[in-house]
Amino acid sequence: MEPRSRSTQYAAWGIYLQRFRPSFRFKSIIGRIIFLHVIAVGIICILMPLLLYWLLARETDSLQRVALREHADMLAGNLKQNPKGDWTLDLPQNVKALYSDTYGRYAYAIVDDTGHAVLSSLRDNALIFSPASDQSSASAQQETHGDAVLSGISVSKQIGDKTVSIQVAENLRHRDVIIDDIVANFMQRVGWITLPILMTLLVIDILIFRRVLRPLMRASREARRIGPSRTDVRLPTSGMPSEVLILVQAVNQAFDRLEQGFRAQREFAADAAHELRTPLAILRARVDTSPETSISEAVRKDIERMSRVVNQLLDMAELDTSVMEPCEETDLQSVCADVVEYIAPLALREGKEIALCSCEGPVHVKGNRVMLFRALRNLAENAISHSTEGSTVEIVLEADGTISVLDKGPGIREEDREFIFRRFWRGDRRQFGSVGLGLSIVERIAEAHAGTISVRNRPEGGAHFSLRLSPIRPASAASNLQPYKAQSPQDGQSGYKP
Amino acid sequence: MILSGAASCREPNVRLLVVEDNPELATLLANGLNAAGFQVDSAATADDARSALMTTRYSSIVLDLGLPDADGLSILQEIRGKKDPVPVLILTARSAASDRIKGLRSGADDYLVKPFAFEELVARLEAILRRPSQLVGSSMKLGNLVFDTASRQAFINEEPQYLSSREAAVLELLIRRKGHVVSKRLIEDELFGLFNEIASNAIEVYIHRLRKQLLEHGATVKIHTVRGVGYLLAEV
Repeated sequence: MEPRSRSTQYAAWGIYLQRFRPSFRFKSIIGRIIFLHVIAVGIICILMPLLLYWLLARETDSLQRVALREHADMLAGNLKQNPKGDWTLDLPQNVKALYSDTYGRYAYAIVDDTGHAVLSSLRDNALIFSPASDQSSASAQQETHGDAVLSGISVSKQIGDKTVSIQVAENLRHRDVIIDDIVANFMQRVGWITLPILMTLLVIDILIFRRVLRPLMRASREARRIGPSRTDVRLPTSGMPSEVLILVQAVNQAFDRLEQGFRAQREFAADAAHELRTPLAILRARVDTSPETSISEAVRKDIERMSRVVNQLLDMAELDTSVMEPCEETDLQSVCADVVEYIAPLALREGKEIALCSCEGPVHVKGNRVMLFRALRNLAENAISHSTEGSTVEIVLEADGTISVLDKGPGIREEDREFIFRRFWRGDRRQFGSVGLGLSIVERIAEAHAGTISVRNRPEGGAHFSLRLSPIRPASAASNLQPYKAQSPQDGQSGYKP
Repeated sequence: MILSGAASCREPNVRLLVVEDNPELATLLANGLNAAGFQVDSAATADDARSALMTTRYSSIVLDLGLPDADGLSILQEIRGKKDPVPVLILTARSAASDRIKGLRSGADDYLVKPFAFEELVARLEAILRRPSQLVGSSMKLGNLVFDTASRQAFINEEPQYLSSREAAVLELLIRRKGHVVSKRLIEDELFGLFNEIASNAIEVYIHRLRKQLLEHGATVKIHTVRGVGYLLAEV
């Protein structure tokens, strides 16, 4: 009960999450990354200028304080108290100008322990900062005097046996004070640059993501090739990012297990077909070694049909398990002759005939002889079983690598045409012996040889199967390309090479 | 098929070893081959086969590949390893192209896949026994036609037929491969080898004459034309 309730709980969560998932959903990783990246860039666009502004302001403050402290030190060095108790400040002329009312950039005030200004650059011997705000030795303060904004510090100094407080300040409104303007105008003059920088970064990131995801794309292309006939393909692991590598390896391991399953199934089909052969051999031997009875011939035919099914199952299994790489050269001329020789006794037993009408000379294709033989044998068997008694199945080989198999049967119904190459499909379900593997074997073999198989109905009735393969050497003589013309039965073989 | 009829055509001392692990099939093979005029010993395992081979000299071996104690191919390799030329026919359920090639490369003389027509097995055994080292004079029979290979004489209903040497050569090829297609090219090559020259449409002429002869003397066999490939001799 426990695991089940948990799983339903998970399911409920799943539904919940599904419902509250944002309506915009990106299928691609890049889409998601870009979306999140844009949000991040937006936030950074706001936060970064603020942070920079704060840092800049802090830095200018500290620079100003250092400068003013030097001023204070210099003032303290020049400050003297005469024996009468009066304070004098002897400043060099150029320094004095800095504090002059006319220049108005700097101001100082010397405050004694009573809180009164003993000396001041300001008019009326005024304090720069009120004593109340004069707490620590070097704290930054700001006060407005008329149209001047005085920003500065107050430093305690020991002169002789007296302690005085030296207030030094700079007028921020003064035209020579630019550091403050920089801070004030930072947002509007410099801050905007973060946006294009971040946008450029975004574009670069997208390019990087694409590059990083390239092995994944390659893996997905490879994965597309995997099917029941190509279970040996695995996703490439080279160049795969380590995070994805885990997934790829897990998927490959899953493929290994699937391949084993497939193989087991194929082997089962092959084993089953294989195991059927001995009982069939016993049955056949029993019939052949017993006195002929009225049913002997019929039983033999039954055994032959069953054998054909078994053979087709085994052929199919062999096609499925072995990766065919046709590298050898095969002469279609001899393959056609072999098939006709193989089929002729079977055709005669059924009261039908088979004939080969081929062009002159060999037709070489790249391909496996045994496989091509099987393909053509299946086409011929199919044609024989569907043609009417007394008719002739014709196999026509042309120099362009086309093999046609023509019968005089009922033909292929239009609606059946796309199904006939499927496994276990049969035009006539009542017909025993043809499991419908034959034509799918033909298609598989044609595919493995980069060829095609097609079917159409003949105008005079019957089906016309065409197996097209590419010859290695193109037909040279024009005479080779002459189309096949049906012959009258009397002139037998003349004109055609047997 | 009448197997007993063929018995008279064979020398009595043709002894076969049938290596087959399925008891039912082994019995059927033994009985059938006996009826076809062979003396048959059966072995159910590779061990049995080895001991049989040590004590007896066989004319031919029918070998199943899937044995309970070893692969039949290993026996074949042992035989060929001892330079023993005894003809071996592999009789197996394995039909894959690779198996067939492996079997023939290991030194088998023929390869027959189960299930098989008994007639086919006998014909193939006869074929491998007729090879030079095992040459036995024999006659071949189809329907009421008998062909004696030694004298190249044909009989229909035991009545000797007059045939030209070339017609007889063609008929021999056809009856040797009775029920199978004999390609026109093979007949041409054979006749050319025997007589050095043949006319361009000679084969058609010989076939025509043979057909006429068979028809006129009431033979129960017929030469079929497989257009574009060759001819086939079969019972009517």
